[in-house]
Formats: sequence, structure tokens, C-alpha cells
Amino acid sequence: MMHEHYVIVGNGVTANAAADVLRERDPNARITMISDEFHLFYHRFRLPAFLLGEASESSLCVRPVSYYRERNIRLRLGQEVVRVELDRNLLYLKHMEKVGYTRLLLALGGKPHIPEVHYTYRHRFSTFKTLDDARLLRSRLGSIRSIVIAGGDLVSMRFATSLAKTGRNVMMMLASEAFWPLDLTETIREECIRSLTAKGVDVIDSDRIVGIDSADEQNFEVRTAAGLILPCQYVGAFFGWRPQVDFLVRSGLDIDRGILVDEHLRTNFDSVFAAGDCAQVYNPGIRNYWVSIGWPNAERLGRVAGENMAGGALEAGQAPQSALEVEGIQACTSWWREHGSE
Amino acid sequence: MDRNERIGENTVNREDLIVKICGSAGDGSISATEILNRAVASMGYHIMNFDSFPAEIRGFGKSCGHTRISKNPVRTPGDKADCLVALDDGHSISELKNLKSNGIIIYDSLPPSYRDEDTAVAGYIEPGMIGYGVPLRELSTEATRSAKSRNLVSLGVIATLFNFDPDAFVRAISKRFSGKKESVRTAVLEAFRLGQIFTSEKISKRDAIDFERKAYPREGEYIIISGNESAAQGCLDAGIRLYAGYPITPATKIMEILAKKLPIQEGVVVQTEDEISAVGHVLGAGFSGTRSATATSGPGLCLMSECINLGVMAEIPMVIIDCQRGGPSTGLPTKTEQSDLRIALYGASGDSPRPVIAPTTVAECHSLAMAAFEISDAYQTPVILLLDFFLSNRIEDIVPDPEGSARWGRFPDSIAKPGESPYKRYRITPSGVSPRSMPGTPELLFTATGLEHTENGRPNYDAANHKTMTDKRYAKLDALRNAWSLPEPIGDAGELDVGVISWGSSAGSAIEAMEILRERGFRVGGWIPRLLMPLHEDALEAFAARCRCLVVTEMNHSGQFADVIERVVHRPILRIAKVYSEPMPSDDIVRIVLGELS
Ligand SMILES: Cc1cc2nc3c(=O)[nH]c(=O)nc-3n(C[C@H](O)[C@H](O)[C@H](O)COP(=O)(O)OP(=O)(O)OC[C@H]3O[C@@H](n4cnc5c(N)ncnc54)[C@H](O)[C@@H]3O)c2cc1C
Repeated sequence: MMHEHYVIVGNGVTANAAADVLRERDPNARITMISDEFHLFYHRFRLPAFLLGEASESSLCVRPVSYYRERNIRLRLGQEVVRVELDRNLLYLKHMEKVGYTRLLLALGGKPHIPEVHYTYRHRFSTFKTLDDARLLRSRLGSIRSIVIAGGDLVSMRFATSLAKTGRNVMMMLASEAFWPLDLTETIREECIRSLTAKGVDVIDSDRIVGIDSADEQNFEVRTAAGLILPCQYVGAFFGWRPQVDFLVRSGLDIDRGILVDEHLRTNFDSVFAAGDCAQVYNPGIRNYWVSIGWPNAERLGRVAGENMAGGALEAGQAPQSALEVEGIQACTSWWREHGSE
Repeated sequence: MDRNERIGENTVNREDLIVKICGSAGDGSISATEILNRAVASMGYHIMNFDSFPAEIRGFGKSCGHTRISKNPVRTPGDKADCLVALDDGHSISELKNLKSNGIIIYDSLPPSYRDEDTAVAGYIEPGMIGYGVPLRELSTEATRSAKSRNLVSLGVIATLFNFDPDAFVRAISKRFSGKKESVRTAVLEAFRLGQIFTSEKISKRDAIDFERKAYPREGEYIIISGNESAAQGCLDAGIRLYAGYPITPATKIMEILAKKLPIQEGVVVQTEDEISAVGHVLGAGFSGTRSATATSGPGLCLMSECINLGVMAEIPMVIIDCQRGGPSTGLPTKTEQSDLRIALYGASGDSPRPVIAPTTVAECHSLAMAAFEISDAYQTPVILLLDFFLSNRIEDIVPDPEGSARWGRFPDSIAKPGESPYKRYRITPSGVSPRSMPGTPELLFTATGLEHTENGRPNYDAANHKTMTDKRYAKLDALRNAWSLPEPIGDAGELDVGVISWGSSAGSAIEAMEILRERGFRVGGWIPRLLMPLHEDALEAFAARCRCLVVTEMNHSGQFADVIERVVHRPILRIAKVYSEPMPSDDIVRIVLGELS
């Protein structure tokens, strides 16, 4: 009998939740997870705590490698998918290997977004999404006195206040588009500024970055439209995330700001599913797509995707409607759970 | 480093690195390994290189260079590698089992086309391992217009990644290609350079191995040679004039070397029709007073046993080098084993005493080969020198032995002079050694016979004479035992928790295991005789009396040396006797001993 070969691209919460369900539903199937990160599945939301030395690296790890071995799940870490041929059920890996599947889940997450206006000096921005990013910044932290945070997405709020607490000079340049997929309403914005300022963050409002100069790899000068020059040792890009779908362009997949999936998380290819931060999920109730964001939401969608790949017909449901506290403000995104540095 | 970590396979030792370069035959993995050896040895590091060979020796199989580099003297090639350079994905996949679970894989990130699922080595990188993708083929083609210098590109990667002095590599590569055209030399150096540049610009290092570009200056001369080369040099330095042999793995190399070098010192190499003929040649040469040798492996030694017996009975000097391999019969030609001990010690009809010597290192292959000739001449007897596949083929950096055979002397007294009448070729003496004559010397008739004989060489079947002559032949072993310096125990003095006894090529693993056990707080000593027949039994008993737990380690199934030891010490022994086919892993010894002690 031919067994299914479920391939999951990604090793975040979405991917792992889906793999668990698939193994439960189909004990004999081949399951392969592919991720371009080298690390075992880790708690992304603890990265700020790790950065500040409040959490150890080992405490970030969600499951040991034995977890996968016991469940006969093959982990291909540090391996990037660079191309797909979905009509031939083939993935192409960067190290020049083809991998076939019978069913595929794209659980690609999002990647830090840097708006095009900053294109010419984009390499001077640092991003903070992965454990490698956090490791690098942690190793440099001792020599960093001033930090400019550009954007101001959900992650940046706690990032900024935590760093301010350590006595560093933290300057935050709020950009409204950073809140995507949420709306940064005027009320939220004002509340944010007030709260951040109270916690020692120097918020620079109604201005924007027009250039970043650097004398060396360690020291930068951020230039603003209003003529400010902000010397610092770290310029963080926190303009929110965009689904990580560049390599899927021209694959035949329907993509908007994320991979478009129906309410069962199936893409326009029958055997291909997408879930988590990379997907735009159709909601028949509102007859529109919504974008997933946040850990609990990704986990839930991962399980739904797993069920449906194994033959189920669960609906992803609506984006939950409860609210999130951003710096003490209720933001209209309940699906972002506030994780402390547990 | 905390040596306790060494028990597990995942060790991070900053200046101890095991590299495997794996490809198809023709991919240059062995020559890259040679260059690596030379480069790091010139920086003062010690190396032990032991390449693995395919089971069948034929064209296009796997070819895998394995080298261990350390700032301390290297006793074993180590078990699993820290770094695997994959010049061929298919072959390298089969080598992954020999890579540490936190090992590094350097692979070609840009082969000419996509490979099918599970045929790319990078696809097997397990969590915890580190993969460095390098466009080996592309960089090679850029430098030399051919993919063949992928091996040199990979050396550029290794030098940069682990922080070795690149100039040492440039010198080693230049030397290797010194016979080639200038344009070729420039191109291969460019291949190395592109590997360096790629690594420093494109690879972000994620491993912890760092040699800090340090050099450890050496005092005096060193050479990089294999056990077989060392033994062959020992034959040359002992002044042999004849080598007769029949090719057999892993001994053939000795004949190949001597075929080139022996004629220079007016000697002759004869490739005979079989091993019986080879040993017959050696016997004949010994009879006529010419130093000669043969080298073989287990199956050949079986065939030679009758002639060796004749040598024992007729008291003719001859040296037989047995490069052991997996057995019995034709067995495992390219695998290592120490299972010819029994046949070397006792393989004969009748009571047939013959000295057996087992070197433990490449350097000893030289010094003990020379000693074998001296003993053979001095005691007028066949001598068996026991190497094995691992010792024959492993390459080490050694300090050449300037003393040569001077240590032994020639026992000129045993050569008879005319006028000693009546001349008795087999005269009974306290040492058992009788005055030897050269055939054809007037008045000194050398009667050589396989029949039992009297002192003057006449056949005689009288029981009393047979006893006298048998005693005489065994007396030579006693004389040799007294002349040979006592094997010095190593390690801790006084009472010991563990006493490790080993021999031959696996002695290095035993010593390494001892070091680990000592660092774990045990009192450990070792007894590693080189002269296995006759054994220094008193010294052995004295050592054994100090040990709470007595261990014998060797690479055979039945514990051939342990049997010998047990007969002397009359007490239970922990036998670590295994056919690994590969060099004995020291971790295994440690694990078993710890299990026994707990
Ligand atoms: C610093 C930080 C703090 C956060 N804090 C919170 C919080 O407090 N609360 C909360 O609810 N959420 C938080 N989040 C968001 C939450 O972590 C994400 O919503 C969630 O991780 C999304 O999971 P995912 O599995 O969809 O994607 P991801 O976790 O992004 O995983 C995607 C995976 O896909 C892999 N991948 C992508 N493309 C490829 C490719 N081409 N080939 C191979 N592999 C590929 C990536 O390497 C990655 O492993 C935080 C995120 C960050 C970065």
C-alpha cells in the first residue's frame, strides 16, 4: 500500500501542531518537516526574555529531537525550499535536492518587513525574528548604548520597554503601517505614546527615517525628515511581518498578502494547504480573507490544517474577536496572546 | 576540556579534530588528506591518518581519507569524525554513520543539477549537526577549468573554518604539485584560495572548533609515513639484500617500496609464485648468511608455516612480517584485526619456538623491524613481526630513529671461525645459541635439516637427544627474554584499580582509554609488551599483582592474548576482545571497564 508522504514546510508552532495531528491520524504515513532554520522548534515569544538574559537558550526549546524520532517524523533543519512545482508535487531545496510529497503544508510564517522607502539603506536595519537574530544581538548588547526602533509593531513594544528598563537610550519612531494587519487608530496611537514614554522610551512621533549612515558595522546615525540625527548602535526594523512567500511567486498558487486558502486551509492546489502567519484565510461569514497573527492562532490553524490534510473537513473559523493589550491598550486583535517571559 | 565529555561521542575539543574527506576514487580525497597532513604537521600538530578502503579493491569505489589532528601526540585515529567533507554525495551518505551527532558536513551547494530525494548528503543533516554549503564544483571550475580540484577548494574551506595557517597549506600544495607545470601550480593554488575566500566571506561559522592559527614549533626533524613504509625502511636500514614476496593486502605496499629502494642498495626483490616459494627464498637466503625478509598476511602465514618450522629446526635466521587482516581464510582483506596472534605464536607442528614481536606505533614498525633482524641473526631463528591493516596503513608524523640497529649489536660471537674443531653446528650452549657457519666455509659444515639432529647436524631420533635439542631451541627464547629490556608498566604506580594489558596496534586505544579513566579518578596502569614470544612472565605477574581489575584489550574474537595472559596470572581477566574491523574505539574500552567497576 502506498503511504502518504506529508511534507510540512516550516518548523514553527503551525507546523508542529499540524505534524502532531497528522501522526495521530495516520500512524504509518511518512512525515517530513523542512525548515531553513537550524534550531529545534522554539518559543519565539520568549526571544525578548532571552535577549535580556531572563531566559536561557535551552528554555526556548519546545521539544527535544527525541520527540520527533519517537514519532518517526523526519526533521530536515537548515534546509530551505527555494522553488516548488505544485503540479508535479515537487519541492526544490536550496542544496539542490528534489523532495516529493503527496500532501503539502506551507507553514512559512512571516518575515520582518522593511518598507520600500528604506530600500537603499535596508541592510543597516537589524531584524528580530529568529533565535539567530536574538543570539547576535545578545552578543552585541554590551556595546550598545542607544537604540533606534523604527516602526512599532506588536513585538517592538515590549522589546523597547524591556531595553529601556536596562538603562539604554531607546528611541522609537512610530510608523503607522507597522501595525498591519491591525489598524493603528488615533486612540491606540496616543495611548501607545503615553505608555511608552512613561516606561522610559523616547517616542519620536510624526517624523520618519530618511537615511542611515554608518561609520563602521557598530555605529550608526539615523537621519530623519525633520532633520534629526540620532546616533545609535542598533537600528531595529519593526514594521511588522509579511508572509514569507517570495519563493512561491509564479508557482501557480493564489497569493495576495499571504497564501490564499479556503476555510479548510486548502490552497487552489488540492494537495497543498497553508496555515499560520503565512496564510490569508477565507471567512465565509464575512466573505473576505483574514490574516493570522500570533502564536495561539497559529497553533489552532496548524491543528485544523493537520486534520484536513489527513482527510478531515474542519473549518478554520473566524478570526477570534476578543482583544489584546498593547501597552495597556485594547487592540482589535485577540489572536495575539500576551506571552510573558514565562 | 573536561575529559569526561570524551566518553560520549560529542566532544568539542578546540585543538583536536577528526576530518574525513570522502569521494569516489579519483575525486582526490586521499591526496587532499595527504596535503592536510603535511600542512598541519608543518605547523607542529600531530596527526594520525587512516584511510578507509572499499571491501573490494577496484576502480571507482568509495575513497575516504580520515585524519586526526591534535596538538598532543595522537594515539588513535578516533572513532567518529568532527567534520565530513563530501566530494561525492552518495559515498558521503554512507559515511554519515561515522560522523559525530554534532558533526560538520561540508558539501557542494551547487552541483550541476538537482538530485533526487535522499541522494544529497545535505538532506541528511540531522538536528545538532552543522552543514556548510560551498559551491565546490563551481569554484574548482573557476580556478582550474575542471571540477577535479574540488578537493583543494575544500582544503581552503577547512583551513579558514578551523583557523589553520593558510601558508602551511600553500607550501604543502606547492610541494605536492612541484613536478607540474607552473600554470597547473598556479591554478591549484587558486582553487585553494577561492575556498578560503568563500569561507571567510560567505560562511558564518557555527561550530566551536578553532585552532587559533597557532603553531607549535617542533624540535628537530619529523617525517610523515605509514606503518608499512616504516617497516620497509626498517628492512632497508637492517641491510637486507633480498626480499621475496607474493602480493597480498595489506602487505603488498612493503614489496612495492622495496622494489623501488632495495636495488639502490644492491638488493633484490623477487615476486614469487606463492607464499611458500617466498618464504623458501627467505629461508635459503638466511641459510647462506644473507639478511632477507618476506611480508604477508594471515592466509600467506598459514602457507608459510611449514618453512618457518624448518627455519626453527634448522636454526636459520629469517624475518616474516605478518600484516594481519580480518580472517579466517581470505576473510576481510581491507579490515583490521589482530587474530593471527595464535598462529604466529604457536602455528606449527611440534614444539616450534620462535620470537614474535608486535610494534604498537608507526615509529616502532621501523625500530622493531630492525630489532627483528638482529634477533633473528643473534638467535638463529625465524622471527615474526606482527603488524595489522590499521598499523600498516595508518600514517603518523614520527621522529626518525637515528640510532638504527646500533642498539642491538650483531652477536658476532655466534659466527664460527675455522679451526674450532670439531665444529658442531648445533653445539649445546647455555644460551642455546650455537656457533653459526656460512655454507661453503671449509671445515665448518652447515648441515641444515628438518629432521631432528645431533649437535653436529646428523639426523637422530633418539628420545634423549630430542629432549636435549628441544630444550636447546627453547633456551634461545630464555636468552632472548633476558637480553630484551623489561616492558615498563605505564601509568600510576602502586596499587591499581585497573590494569590494562594490550598489544600491537590496539595499544594506542588502550592508552587513550587509560588516560580517560585516570581523569575520572581511577588509579590506572598499563602493560604493553612488544615482545610477545617469549613473554616476560615475571614482569607480567608483578604487574597483575598490583591490579584490582585486570583487562586485556585486543581486536580478535577469542581473546588470543588474554588466553596467553590468563595462563600466566591464573586469575579472572576482563577480556575486551572484539572484531571491530575498524581500529578499536577507546570509548568502548572505557565503557566496558566502567561497567565492570560499577
Ligand atoms: C520576537 C517575537 C515575539 C513574539 N511574541 C508573541 C507573543 O507574545 N504572543 C503571540 O501570540 N505571538 C508572538 N509572536 C508571534 C508568533 O511567534 C508567531 O505568530 C508564530 O510564531 C507564527 O507561527 P508560524 O508557525 O506560522 O510561523 P513561524 O514561527 O514564523 O515559523 C515559520 C517557519 O517556516 C520556516 N520557513 C519559511 N520559509 C521557508 C522556506 N522557504 N524553506 C524552509 N523553511 C521555511 C521558517 O524558518 C520558520 O521556521 C512573536 C514573534 C516574535 C518574532
